[in-house]
Amino acid sequence: MSAKESTLPDYRDLAPEVATRFDRIRQRPVLLSVQNLEKKFGTNGSTHTVFDGITLDIHRREFICVIGPSGCGKSTFIRIVAGLDEATGGQILLDGKAVTGPGHDRGMVFQGYTLFPWLTVKRNVMFGLEMRGKDKFTAENEARQWLDMVGLSKVEDSYPHELSGGMKQRVAIARALANEPRILIMDEPFAALDAQTRCQMQSYLLQIWKKVDVTILFITHDLEEAAYLADRILVLGTNPGRVVEFIENPVPRPRSPDQFVEPAYLSLKLRLEELIHPPVEVEEDKLPMIKLTNAGDDVE
Amino acid sequence: MAHRDWLGLKQELPGNRRLMLTLFSFLAPLLLWSAVSYVPWLWHPLVHVTVPGDVDYFTDDMDVPRADYDRELAKVKAAGGTVPEGYAVNPVYLPPPHKVALAFYTAFTTEPRLPNEPWLHESLAHSIRTICWGFFISSLFGVPLGIMCGTYRFFSRLQEPFIEFFRYLPAPAFGALCVAILGIDDGPKIAVIFIGTFFQQVLVIANTVRKVDPALIEASQTLGASGWKLVRRVVIPASISDIYTDMRILLGWAWTYLIVAEIVGTMSGITYFINQQARYRNFDNVYAAIMMIGVIGFSSDLLLAWIGRIIFPWKRKAQSSKSAPSWWAKLLPKKTSPQPSQA
Ligand SMILES: Nc1ncnc2c1ncn2[C@@H]1O[C@H](COP(=O)(O)OP(=O)(O)O)[C@@H](O)[C@H]1O
Ligand SMILES: [Mg+2]
Repeated sequence: MSAKESTLPDYRDLAPEVATRFDRIRQRPVLLSVQNLEKKFGTNGSTHTVFDGITLDIHRREFICVIGPSGCGKSTFIRIVAGLDEATGGQILLDGKAVTGPGHDRGMVFQGYTLFPWLTVKRNVMFGLEMRGKDKFTAENEARQWLDMVGLSKVEDSYPHELSGGMKQRVAIARALANEPRILIMDEPFAALDAQTRCQMQSYLLQIWKKVDVTILFITHDLEEAAYLADRILVLGTNPGRVVEFIENPVPRPRSPDQFVEPAYLSLKLRLEELIHPPVEVEEDKLPMIKLTNAGDDVE
Repeated sequence: MAHRDWLGLKQELPGNRRLMLTLFSFLAPLLLWSAVSYVPWLWHPLVHVTVPGDVDYFTDDMDVPRADYDRELAKVKAAGGTVPEGYAVNPVYLPPPHKVALAFYTAFTTEPRLPNEPWLHESLAHSIRTICWGFFISSLFGVPLGIMCGTYRFFSRLQEPFIEFFRYLPAPAFGALCVAILGIDDGPKIAVIFIGTFFQQVLVIANTVRKVDPALIEASQTLGASGWKLVRRVVIPASISDIYTDMRILLGWAWTYLIVAEIVGTMSGITYFINQQARYRNFDNVYAAIMMIGVIGFSSDLLLAWIGRIIFPWKRKAQSSKSAPSWWAKLLPKKTSPQPSQA
């Protein structure tokens, strides 16, 4: 550990171009403001506090990743942002206006795809546009453009069950973006995909984000994913959930997998590891282990 | 493939074996029936008398139990009179398969004995009309109400407890009441089928609608859907193909109410035909008519399944558990869509 630390820079030491980028971001208007957010489950008697006192500002066109141990309330947090759950305290402002329920200004992409199975790919993308009262012709044209952007024009008349997982998630992204949301909220969108597809999807997402004026709030439990994608990484802690640290990513853009060996990347990853997986001392004697077979000495 | 176990646990069998077993499921009862009908020593408890001989109470074309026949035969032989003749037969209520098969045609050409008595095709048409009206009126109210109950807890709490209670009241019990209210014609019959179908229908459809994936509803909310638009554009399409399957099953149940319904008031339709033919001891016609109900019910279900595959193209994937309620659905050709490679 100490050997590594001595060779790696501090993750807070930003290279000049990265530091100026963050300066520029900070000058952009605040898009999403979370103030003292609190969520409790349970009514009378036993209440369970998921998180308490979450406060943060997200600027326009930022890419924010949220990480934290499972059960710390990541999903609950963004469901509240999306308006699908209600907070028990505090408030959320989007462009200065309080969020009360779900709306098309906040697009959502779920881990489980949630495409409408009865609609073709194109009709899925048209759904939100039609909900907002656009006529069929306009909706169809816009849907085609979005499908073109995610590279799925060829399958516009297929049904979702005919697509692979990666393609489904691209349709889901196109469907959410077609509504031109202010913020795109994604809950572990690539967790169900195989490693190779996940890599492709990550770079797709970065390309899309470059072309589209949208802020992204992205949940993941994959530290490398967070380090690869994010401008800033929100690290949540558990019991009760709270903001442990809001880290500015020292890895310069544009990102590429080549950077995975650079010092800035490694120092960030080391820090995230520390925060998410604090060293646990396994008390060997307390593990309920029954010796079923005789393991030879050479096993260890 | 060929070496796979016939009794593999929860494993689908290869197509040729499926077909073989399907045929066998029909052939086995038919073979049993044929054996009992055509193999003289298998059952044949009666003797059909062709020559009465000197037995006083024997007449031409009379069926007597074999024991009686043997006893009389011995008596006559001992007395030295003319011996009776006859051959072993089954009771008249078990006609052999070929007679029933023939009756599938002849039942249609058998002229009614009484004036005003309907022909078989008229009886069948009457029965189908009764079923359709009962089911249609039930669906007219049951489907929307089921969807409302499945969508809104308000309607569910308001309606379902009573419906849950009412569905335990047997529909035939309302027969007399229906006659008193609706007269003796088709009204009460349709009402009995309605009562038998409606309450189940509301509950079954409400349950199906409740099973709509909440993630789909949430996804549509984040896309700006709400209120009635959400019901019309998400809840209903998400459940419609399962509702269709429910309707097919419910229509099958409606058929089981047909016979009791047709006894209500003046007996009518296929029930009347069966009853009359049994009275005339035309048991081949009786069997043929009963089987026709099966054939009509079964083939209409096949037809509806086939239509379902056309109108719900997104369900044409490899078996989702609910889309194929019957064993025969596995015989239908599966649409094999080429799976695109990852991403
Ligand atoms: N509807 C609910 N009722 C009660 N507790 C809930 C509910 N939803 C989530 N929780 C609790 O909130 C905590 C956070 O859940 P979640 O936000 O899904 O965590 P994460 O996404 O970070 O894994 C968990 O401890 C979970 O048990
Ligand atoms: Mg989660």
